[in-house]
Amino acid sequence: MIHSDPDAAAPARGEEQPRSAPRAVLSPWTLIKRFLTMREGSISVVTIALIVYFSLSIPAFFTSSNFQTLLTYFTWLAILAGGEVFLMINGEIDLSIGGVYLFAPLLFYEIVGGGISLVPAVILTILVCTGIGVVNGVVTAILGVNSFITTLGTLFALEGLTLIVSHAEQLNMPGSAVSTSANGSSHLGTFASIFGAGVYSELVWAVVIIAIMQIALTRTRWGLHTIAVGSNRIAAAEAGVKVRLVVIRNFMVCSSLAGLVGIMEAVRSQSISPDPSSSNSVLLDAIAAAVIGGTLLAGGSGTIVGAFIGALFLGVLQDGLAIKGVNADYLDFYLGIAILFAMLINVYVGRVRRRTGVG
Amino acid sequence: MSDNEFVNEAIERLEWSDAKVEATPQSKARAVTRRVALGGGAGAVAAFMLAPAAQALAASSSSVFGTGKKYHFVFVNHVTTNPFFTPTISGIQDACNLLGCSYQWTGSETSNVAQMVTAFNTAIAGNADGIAIPLIDPKAFNAPTAKALAKGIPVLSYNADEPTNGRLAYIGQDLFVSGQDMGQRIKSLVPSGNVALFIATPGSANIQPRINGAESVLKGSATKYTVTATGAALPQELSTIESFWQGHTSYKGLFAVDGGSTQAVFQTIQKYNLRGKGVKGGGYDLTPITQQLLAAGEGDFTIDQQPYLQGFLPTLELFLYHASDRLSGIADVDTGLKFLDKTTVKPYNSTKSRYEGTSSKVGVTNS
Repeated sequence: MIHSDPDAAAPARGEEQPRSAPRAVLSPWTLIKRFLTMREGSISVVTIALIVYFSLSIPAFFTSSNFQTLLTYFTWLAILAGGEVFLMINGEIDLSIGGVYLFAPLLFYEIVGGGISLVPAVILTILVCTGIGVVNGVVTAILGVNSFITTLGTLFALEGLTLIVSHAEQLNMPGSAVSTSANGSSHLGTFASIFGAGVYSELVWAVVIIAIMQIALTRTRWGLHTIAVGSNRIAAAEAGVKVRLVVIRNFMVCSSLAGLVGIMEAVRSQSISPDPSSSNSVLLDAIAAAVIGGTLLAGGSGTIVGAFIGALFLGVLQDGLAIKGVNADYLDFYLGIAILFAMLINVYVGRVRRRTGVG
Repeated sequence: MSDNEFVNEAIERLEWSDAKVEATPQSKARAVTRRVALGGGAGAVAAFMLAPAAQALAASSSSVFGTGKKYHFVFVNHVTTNPFFTPTISGIQDACNLLGCSYQWTGSETSNVAQMVTAFNTAIAGNADGIAIPLIDPKAFNAPTAKALAKGIPVLSYNADEPTNGRLAYIGQDLFVSGQDMGQRIKSLVPSGNVALFIATPGSANIQPRINGAESVLKGSATKYTVTATGAALPQELSTIESFWQGHTSYKGLFAVDGGSTQAVFQTIQKYNLRGKGVKGGGYDLTPITQQLLAAGEGDFTIDQQPYLQGFLPTLELFLYHASDRLSGIADVDTGLKFLDKTTVKPYNSTKSRYEGTSSKVGVTNS
């Protein structure tokens, strides 16, 4: 949770006991109220309610095998959304993550085709993606093009480049082959198990990355500067924050993570698909997860853990609707209504939080 | 190469005659210069020797058809970046190279009909020599077709058709009929019980008619079905189909009407070892993974509709229309409904070609 709201620093009205006195044990109601009014609280409750609903209405939902499937819906999305949160706190946005997501596996394919082994190829690919972030950052922060336009440009350019380089052909992802043994069970290679295809691989990546980023945002100077730049850019600059550097660095992180996710998802699906319509839907999901999780589109405030929960919410929703077997024509309608409903609760609880000053 | 051998022989002869003389720095330099000049010249010699052949090829269309005009054809498409159409573009390219024509591939990335109409009108305004378009809307293309025909520009439909449009002919598969054939196949594989039909993006003009066709056959039969949307991105399609299976383990068949979902159906069958439970699976199109899994017996069928021909034949027909001065060239062609199974998919796996969009190189190579 980030104490970045201007009001958040104000003393809480509910806690007027003298500061010097030892704190009284809080009643359960106060604890619940505190949890609910945390930035991640409301979406957590909505997500839990959704899980309870699906568990009660579909017997196959609350099972370990569906849990494994559920992971494939949201873990990668949480990583993408986490990168996006840093930029959104800056008051910027990165649309090019869709393009990087699409391009990274193809680049990896070409590098491996050039004779480099799998793990160094992953590192090289991610470095190139970091470079794309530098381009986004420099064009936005130094040349002064609005980030929406900059990254829309790089999004299209990367999608086009992917089509050109791949000759619009769908390719097999190197290192992802699944072998079937005589008794019918299928086996993964070590590389595939670590980078995306293993049951818990994307979850481990997501939890580690989200934890590091949450700590970076709340406990380091970099995080402090990120919030400062998003809250008031001029004040931050006058206070000595290197605004441009902060923005460029956040673009680099965002692109690198999108590259990693692109590789992992291609390993999981065993395929590199050059179709840009897929990257555009991924991009919108990532931004939605960040916003649902409690990050403001306008900047100045956000939470990485919230993005994780936002992604979980979208994942539970999509998984639940799929497992329920909702008719194809109704799916988008239900999704849209559920997202609107979740955001309304978020906004309402946010208003309560600002009133109580708990943040 | 034979001309390289000839050059090497010449170099050897000259050096042999030089060898009679004591080697000096000058003679060594002369030998090097000679090697470079003759070696580099080999390329020029080869080009010179091949030039008449190339000329003969280029001349062939004019000497055969009596027209040397470089026709320009415009192919409007509804999903210009979809890998499905990669072989179609190869087909257009090959026909254009053969006949000395040029082409433009344009339209919408997202089945946006208004964008397609704009591209159509631009082609008319640009005086294209022929236009080919998938008619994915029942009415929207009627006016541009009439305008083009009035201007003397032939219009063909490919991949998707609307017979009430005034287009001269249709080259492709009938999407609805192909869905009906798939429905029949599903009924024979799963005579009774539940099956799932997956569609990536409901409402998309290039896949929705297939599912409508399948539904028209299955409705009222002992084979009960549900229709589920899987999403635009392949990893998402995989997750959706896996979830669906978790909730419907009594289902006897999983079938899909688009390439990505078909691949994901076969991957799900492999992951949960569903063949052991007797679950049937099938779908459309040939992604590399679909081909491999089908050959490994992880599914029952996939449907190929020869997208290469959907580019090659319209180009040929448009050219002949002009070359024959409107006397010939136009014909409806059904590019077919090829059901591939475990055995018949094998040649697709062992080769790479531009006919199936697995290579951009000329011809068929073994993979």
